Amino acid sequence: MNSPLCKIPRSIAICAAAGLLWSSAAVAGDIEDSNSACLDCHDGEESAIHFADGATLTVGISADAWKKSGHAAEVRCKDCHAAIKDYPHPAVNFPTKRAYQLDRAQSCKRCHYAYHTKAQDSIHAKELAKGNQKAPTCTDCHGLHNETDKADRQAVTLRCGACHAKIAAQYALSVHGEAWGKASANVPMCVDCHGAHAILDPRKAAFHTRSWDICSKCHADAEKMAGTGLSTKVVETYLDDFHGRSNERYAQGAGTPGKPIATCSDCHGVHDIRSFRAAKKNGTLQSEVIVTCRKCHKDAPPAFADAWLSHEPPTLATAPLVVLIQWGYRVLIPLIMAGLVLHILLHLWRARVHR
Amino acid sequence: MTRIITRKDGSVWVERFTPIRRAEHILVLATFVVLIVTGLPQKFEGPNANGILAALGGLDKTRWIHRAAGIVFSIHATLHIGVFVAGLLRGTMRWSLLPTVQDLRDALGNLRYYLGLQKEAPELPKFDYRQKFEYLGMVLGGLVMVVTGLVLLYPAALAAWIPGALIPAAFVAHSNEAMLALLVLIVWHVYGSHLSPEVFPMDTSVFTGFLRKDELRERHTKEFRRLFPQEPVHPSPAAPEAAPTEPAK
Repeated sequence: MNSPLCKIPRSIAICAAAGLLWSSAAVAGDIEDSNSACLDCHDGEESAIHFADGATLTVGISADAWKKSGHAAEVRCKDCHAAIKDYPHPAVNFPTKRAYQLDRAQSCKRCHYAYHTKAQDSIHAKELAKGNQKAPTCTDCHGLHNETDKADRQAVTLRCGACHAKIAAQYALSVHGEAWGKASANVPMCVDCHGAHAILDPRKAAFHTRSWDICSKCHADAEKMAGTGLSTKVVETYLDDFHGRSNERYAQGAGTPGKPIATCSDCHGVHDIRSFRAAKKNGTLQSEVIVTCRKCHKDAPPAFADAWLSHEPPTLATAPLVVLIQWGYRVLIPLIMAGLVLHILLHLWRARVHR
Repeated sequence: MTRIITRKDGSVWVERFTPIRRAEHILVLATFVVLIVTGLPQKFEGPNANGILAALGGLDKTRWIHRAAGIVFSIHATLHIGVFVAGLLRGTMRWSLLPTVQDLRDALGNLRYYLGLQKEAPELPKFDYRQKFEYLGMVLGGLVMVVTGLVLLYPAALAAWIPGALIPAAFVAHSNEAMLALLVLIVWHVYGSHLSPEVFPMDTSVFTGFLRKDELRERHTKEFRRLFPQEPVHPSPAAPEAAPTEPAK
């Protein structure tokens, strides 16, 4: 009951609420009027802004596309193009087209501040801050004058590929890329692993150490893995072995690894993620796995690959020694401890009670 | 061979652990504690584990300490077993810490005594079956830890000599054997050397090296008979302790 609203008489509050409703309806009409004044000239207009470096940018937009965009009902042209107050417009003074575009994208944060701050942490924002004007800003992925609520996933992925062409080509040939275009909605695309706004630098150790958690989002999810024939125990078994256990501890704050410890991508590939199924069928798994081991364990002999317990929990058939030792101790430890405790209790009984 | 001393207060003490054995005990105590403290947060996860890892400077440093302590422990274990086997072979050491058939009889007799099926407790040797169990567990368990620890320290190099399937097996064995060792230590050693009414609050002989003669007579009667063949094992309760007939050496 400390809210300042409580101190406002009810009648005034009701009037204010009614006023807000009325004014928002008026604003909607207002926006349309204001924007249609702009569109009168700019719809399909072909004249262009000329930049100091000789580049040009047409000032025309499509009124149809604009009206379908998420912004049409709520945003005035002037909200983003704040420098333009009247006609004739002030001259645009930017050395390059890109400099102008980057400057325009600064207006997004006036409304979408949360996404702006997220994006500020991204590698793209850091590149921009360093002066790399090729790095993308909001409008490069979301579009201009035709933005919709949710960016189209495939379109965004293609947009990433426009700059990261080499990686896009690798991705296209990977098990993930191969599923592109198939009906399955579960195909991971760039943003699913890298994030959309807060895209971290994947070359940093922290990214590598935690990357298994990215894969686990889908590969530990039985629903998403349904129909793929893939084990959902991949992450669980990884976290049970030395590599996974180590990276999990680092991820929980136990320092940074002196040398990187294998995570999913080190054996399966990063963008060129491959399947070991054929190798499993052909019986060449060991010779393929040892190649991945040797990335870190330089001169590891072929037998070293047998240390790998696969992504299924060990069974008597797959890893008899591990299972027998585990069960041996599961029986031995309680048996020994029960015997010792019983001996102690008998001793105490004799010494104290039954002298 | 066994040193027997008379202290200024007239009490007689029998040597139980030579200085080198006392030093060994302290070394094992230190390495064991370090290995447990640095090993547990690698086995178990959670806020406590993360707290220990953070306090030790992260996982890498914790592992470094664990491996260093493990190497010290391994060298010690190798030397200990080597010296002991050599001593047995050359006849300069007694079989006093290794189990015999008599120990099995002692254990059964003792249990019968606890249960009231037998009137007298069996007379126990210098190291009784309970202590031998712990020593043997320490040596054999230690060997398991040394061998599996070595496999985990150099898995790729050792795969040239051993089947690769032994590496995950060593991982499981190392982790489980450590738990067994820790549990036995917490229950059996803490009881036997601290909480048992016979020694409470603490059997100090492993630090001082000496056990008082009357304690030896009570708890290790067979050894008492061996050292003092002329003396009665059951002094009359009225007779004062520390009869001044003992030799000083």
